[in-house]
Amino acid sequence: MASTIFKDNSTSQVPNKKKKITVPYTFKTSHIPTYLVLIIGAIFAVIPFLWMVSTSLMTLGETINKQLIPASPNWANYSEAWNDANFSKYFLNSVLITVSVLVGLLINCVLAAYAFAKIEFPGRNFIFAVLLATMMIPEAVTIIPQIKLIRGEIFPLPYLPETWTFVPMWLREYFPSSSNWMNTLQVLTIPFMANAFSIFLLRQFFIRIPDDIWDAARIDGAGHLRYLWQIVVPMSKPVIMTVTLFAFIGSWNAFMWPLLVTTTAKWRPLMVGLWTFVTEAGPETQLLMAGAMITIIPVLIVFFITQKEFTEGIATSGLKG
Amino acid sequence: MAEKNFKGTIRFQESLTGYLFITPAIFLISLFGIFPIGYAVYISLHRWRIRKGDFQGFENYFKIFGDWWGALAFLGGLSLLVFALWVIFTAVQGRENKAPFRLGGSLLAIASLVITNWGWRTIMAKGDDDFLGSLIITLYYSLGTVPTQIAVGLVIAYALFQNVRGQEFFRMLYFLPYVTPVVAAAVVFRVIFSEREAGFANQFFGMFGIDPQKWLAESKPLTELIFGLELNGIFAGPSLALIAIMIFGIWSYAGYNAVILLAGLSGIPKNLYEAADIDGATGWQAFTNITVPLLSPVIFFLAVTGFIGTFQAFNHIFVMRSTFSRGTVDVTSVEIFDTFYKLNKFGYAAAESIVLFAIILLLTIANFTVFNRRVFYG
Repeated sequence: MASTIFKDNSTSQVPNKKKKITVPYTFKTSHIPTYLVLIIGAIFAVIPFLWMVSTSLMTLGETINKQLIPASPNWANYSEAWNDANFSKYFLNSVLITVSVLVGLLINCVLAAYAFAKIEFPGRNFIFAVLLATMMIPEAVTIIPQIKLIRGEIFPLPYLPETWTFVPMWLREYFPSSSNWMNTLQVLTIPFMANAFSIFLLRQFFIRIPDDIWDAARIDGAGHLRYLWQIVVPMSKPVIMTVTLFAFIGSWNAFMWPLLVTTTAKWRPLMVGLWTFVTEAGPETQLLMAGAMITIIPVLIVFFITQKEFTEGIATSGLKG
Repeated sequence: MAEKNFKGTIRFQESLTGYLFITPAIFLISLFGIFPIGYAVYISLHRWRIRKGDFQGFENYFKIFGDWWGALAFLGGLSLLVFALWVIFTAVQGRENKAPFRLGGSLLAIASLVITNWGWRTIMAKGDDDFLGSLIITLYYSLGTVPTQIAVGLVIAYALFQNVRGQEFFRMLYFLPYVTPVVAAAVVFRVIFSEREAGFANQFFGMFGIDPQKWLAESKPLTELIFGLELNGIFAGPSLALIAIMIFGIWSYAGYNAVILLAGLSGIPKNLYEAADIDGATGWQAFTNITVPLLSPVIFFLAVTGFIGTFQAFNHIFVMRSTFSRGTVDVTSVEIFDTFYKLNKFGYAAAESIVLFAIILLLTIANFTVFNRRVFYG
């Protein structure tokens, strides 16, 4: 499998840097079917969002009577959902989790990808191939051992003994005090601080940076770390952006794992909070939709800001990966 | 001599730096990705309900299949099918006389289908109905979503690729479902496909004079609801609840496929179309003879990742399933989750997950043998 991926990659067509030739646009009647397809597709894509927004502004009565649009927007649903579902807590948790994952993931994966792309060491290709194979493993297989692992039942994970009084209290909060990592920040972050897909994407980009630059840097006395930080990373902004966005989406949307490892509200992220709300809110559809909207908004904001890099990053990484 | 030593030191330092750089990532991936596979096998060989019990060999696997010969025939038949496909599509490459290979391969394929079918019927009769049934549901789900997703994506990508106004705007809209958090989107679809009359799906189909349906709460298969047929087993087809979930799957991935296919389309050299135009090819001919072959690596990529993805699908199905669907939407990963989380049968769930992994591996290999040599890499 791995060898095939290598092969695909070397021969697949990476889209050329688009030469911007502006063709003057003229509308022809033959374009009508094309627009029709595009508009129908767009309606299919967007209608659940419209339904969500519309329902989130209805009163309970309106959701029961067949109505598509509320008579007047009932904004109070949002504050009610926000308070009922304890979203302020979960929101903060999700932000903290996502930021920690992103920082850890970028450091670990950039380092590893750079080593796989630019440093010669014995067993490099073999380790890389094994790494790629891990992308195929279903979550269902790993989840049971992972749960035992983080409960400290298989072999103890590192922790801070209670007797270490010199560790300040505020810092203690963020470190495990026992080898049972249930309901902690690190159980939601550390397992996600490295993944094969990110390393693969970054390596594919790094490997195309010409070696002359490295030779020049080395003559100037730079080591690998300095070269990586001062030359490679600034040159690789697009791919780092793509990896960051993927990781952001993955971390913000994570569900099965947080559902299993958070039994209390302490570090429960937004998505699990939403699910808890769903099981509790019952028939109050308008509150549910307001809740869903609240969890979606941050992603939408990030998406609209980075829209271009996002779609292009995913389109090309999809082609390459 | 001294120089050689110097070079050796440099190389050693290089290697050391390399290992140091990969250590954090490799450590995490080994601990949370590779080690668990081995440990899952270990768990699956024990009687294990929350706490470890006695070693019991392949007892858990036996509970799944109910009959070793049936299991062997089923998995062996599938492997044989992959081999037959390999003979038909790959082994013939570059040979002058292809006919005997094709013929032999086809006969082998038919034989393997017969074996697989016998094996399946045997294990279905004696094994764990819930788990084996979930495999069928997963298959429905995969076959219902992946090809549709790609087809819809292709149509949209082709339309976007024409010289249209607002290409970037449309592209953004199509991409929205993919970036929307799955759990939140599934919650929205739960309401859209609710059994209440005021649900969006019921209001929408009501405009066409269709009676309100129970959607996610409907366990009856579509064939029964539309045609009144009462079929059993594989031929009954997916329940209406599963169809609603498939619609969700298509909704969230069609746009993503379109964006990737669009990037593939813009990689096709324009002069090919010009040449075809001069030769008098119609739009459809150009599409089938230029676009599809040149796009085949991308389509292949989407098909492989799509199938692997649907066989692991969990989150949205977990959120959208209703108790009234009576297990007709429980794909394998949901079934495993229930066995492990609700019933606390760790050993049995681990065995189920290993079987799922084996099937995904077989599928991936099959995908590669059938399509890889047939796609055109330019």
